[in-house]
Amino acid sequence: MPSLVILVLSLLVLPTGLQAQPTDLEEQLRAISEDLRCPVCQNLSVADSPSEMATQMRALVLKQLKEGKSPEQIRAYFVSKYGEWILLSPSTKGFSLVVWILPFIALIGGIILVFLVARRWVQRKSSYRPDEVDPALVQRVQQDVSSERVWEIDPEIEGPRAHLLNEQARLYTELQELEFDYRAGRLSEIDYQNLRPRYEAQAAGVLKELDSSPARTTSETRPRREKRTTKDAGQAQSGKAPSRRTWIFATTGVFLLVFGVTLGVYLGKSLRPRGSEQDSITGDFLTGTGPVGSSVMKGQNLPALLALGRAAFQRQDWGQAIGAFKRVHAIDPNQPEAHTYMGLILTQAGHADDALKAFNRALSSDPAFPLALWGKGMVLYRDKGDLSGARKNLEKVVSLLPPGKERIEVQKTIDELTSHQATPEKSKQSVTNSSRIEGTISVDPNLKAKLDSGDTLFIIIRSANSATGPPLAVKRIDSPVFPLSYSLGPENMMMSGRPFGGKVNVSVRLDKDGNAITREPGSLMGAYEKNPVEIGTQGVDIILDQVM
Amino acid sequence: MPWRRILLTMAVIIPVIGVLAFGFSRDPRYISSPLIGQPAPPFTVTLFDGKKLSLADLRGKVVFLNFWASWCPPCRAEARDLEAVWQRYKDKNIVFLGIDMQDTEKEALAFIEEFQITYPNGRDASGNISIDYGVWGIPETFFIDPEGRITYKHVGGLGYPIIVAKLDEARRGLISAKEGKGEYQSIR
Repeated sequence: MPSLVILVLSLLVLPTGLQAQPTDLEEQLRAISEDLRCPVCQNLSVADSPSEMATQMRALVLKQLKEGKSPEQIRAYFVSKYGEWILLSPSTKGFSLVVWILPFIALIGGIILVFLVARRWVQRKSSYRPDEVDPALVQRVQQDVSSERVWEIDPEIEGPRAHLLNEQARLYTELQELEFDYRAGRLSEIDYQNLRPRYEAQAAGVLKELDSSPARTTSETRPRREKRTTKDAGQAQSGKAPSRRTWIFATTGVFLLVFGVTLGVYLGKSLRPRGSEQDSITGDFLTGTGPVGSSVMKGQNLPALLALGRAAFQRQDWGQAIGAFKRVHAIDPNQPEAHTYMGLILTQAGHADDALKAFNRALSSDPAFPLALWGKGMVLYRDKGDLSGARKNLEKVVSLLPPGKERIEVQKTIDELTSHQATPEKSKQSVTNSSRIEGTISVDPNLKAKLDSGDTLFIIIRSANSATGPPLAVKRIDSPVFPLSYSLGPENMMMSGRPFGGKVNVSVRLDKDGNAITREPGSLMGAYEKNPVEIGTQGVDIILDQVM
Repeated sequence: MPWRRILLTMAVIIPVIGVLAFGFSRDPRYISSPLIGQPAPPFTVTLFDGKKLSLADLRGKVVFLNFWASWCPPCRAEARDLEAVWQRYKDKNIVFLGIDMQDTEKEALAFIEEFQITYPNGRDASGNISIDYGVWGIPETFFIDPEGRITYKHVGGLGYPIIVAKLDEARRGLISAKEGKGEYQSIR
């Protein structure tokens, strides 16, 4: 056996030198390209992919072949750029060797297992020869089987003779059932005559071993039940008293059904048709990487679609937000809120003209839609420099909004705009110096053990007036080194167009996974102890002293 | 006896579930770069203004190397931030270099015009530079320290704060433990 294992493994590990080497350049190119994975495709080799990148990679392979490089050198070049990922067949070195060897180890293990089980089975069958069995023992077996006693296998039975007792119970039960089936007409005469002596011989063998073993202990006693009589044979066909085996079958059946249904539901939810070339068939449910709310996206429920789009917009998932609002437009092409959000997304992407078109379409459906008026006003102000147009729209927003925080914010923008109109030069200067928050961040010495090189620091500024909603400004620092100095200004704002001023709360979070949205236990937090502060304050020093 | 059976069954099932969980929780398209911490592959590119620029000439400076294409939405999304950071840091021993790939010259020039990009840009028509840097999802950005080592790689759109932070790290020669990944990349 070990020599066989060595032979199989050596065939696997042997270099490809034994295989015929392609001599022609094109054949070599084909062979190498077939072994390289196209980085921009789904499971296509460089040889098969029509993409531009694959074409460029093939040209590079050809160039390197012409330069006299060997296929191994070319493969090694691509591995040095893209890692082992680029190879469609994992290499036969290092950890990747496991991938090659494991299936064969499993196969060899399986063959050994089958061999062992078969041998045991054959030994058990062949250990009792009918012609060598003592007739007296066979008679005892027949008496035991025809008695009223029910023989049951008891897995909890203990003692040196446990396996013999259970084997005895199994064979006696088989004989009782054989008898029962024969009398019920479910077994032919030939089968009955053939099987019964065999079981009796096996049971006699077990009895012989039991007789030669030490006497029973109390722990070996087993429960007794009334035996099924031949009278029951007729009743059995009507299925009146289900046996233990029936229960086992029924339970297994129910379990398999539940398992199958669960698997079907879960897989049904996790797999989906590919929406685009970049999409994958897995996602949604198992990995959480698929589109959220795919059922909503397929439906006609406008409020749900709008809510999905707003939520995606809030977390800056532009792809999904655009998808949701486009779906809204497919149902109602004039829906003002969807046009407005599309305008806001276009503003974020720097397409001021298209954004204005979107806001105008929203306003043509609903001339008093505050968010569209605000968006249009801000684009006119920030991107177009049309101060009077901006003012007109923002003033309309103020007239529409109820008194409150939002109205004050818009009013502040109008005031800022007015000051711009009066003294444009002066206002430009004021942005540079006084509109910053600066200070240092350090870590509580007791918490230094919690630091990790992969941590990401988020410095978060929230308006003192609003505890919820997106922060005013955020700065992200990957792999920070403490103590560090920081400075946040208008360039760190989450949403352009909001004024960067007034009283704010400054806090920091040292995040474990670099995702600002999720919060992991073990992340460190801290806040400025004199919060709230005015924008323009220097020396806002913060200590990371809390553990999430 | 039953315990032995349960343990044996678990010993088979748990590794299988573990392998499946590992497989399902990975993005099969994501390609980790082996280049971080390695010397940046040398290249010479012809810029859109006709001049030639070699990476070797930039030794001693922090290099912000950005692979982009005019058709790629996240490249559009980050373009203004890139130019803003360039304007702020161009006199601080930092060089921005854009490599346009999988694109036509006409569309690339229109992109530069639209976003009023002033830092040097060239076109990688053969794809050799992008393959040399293991590029797969556009935009991809490499931060190269004054010693010529890649300190950080980011796949996907970048924002102002992270560019500034990573430039500072590259200036100090700090190599990031792992590459960054934006939520949004274009693959064609």
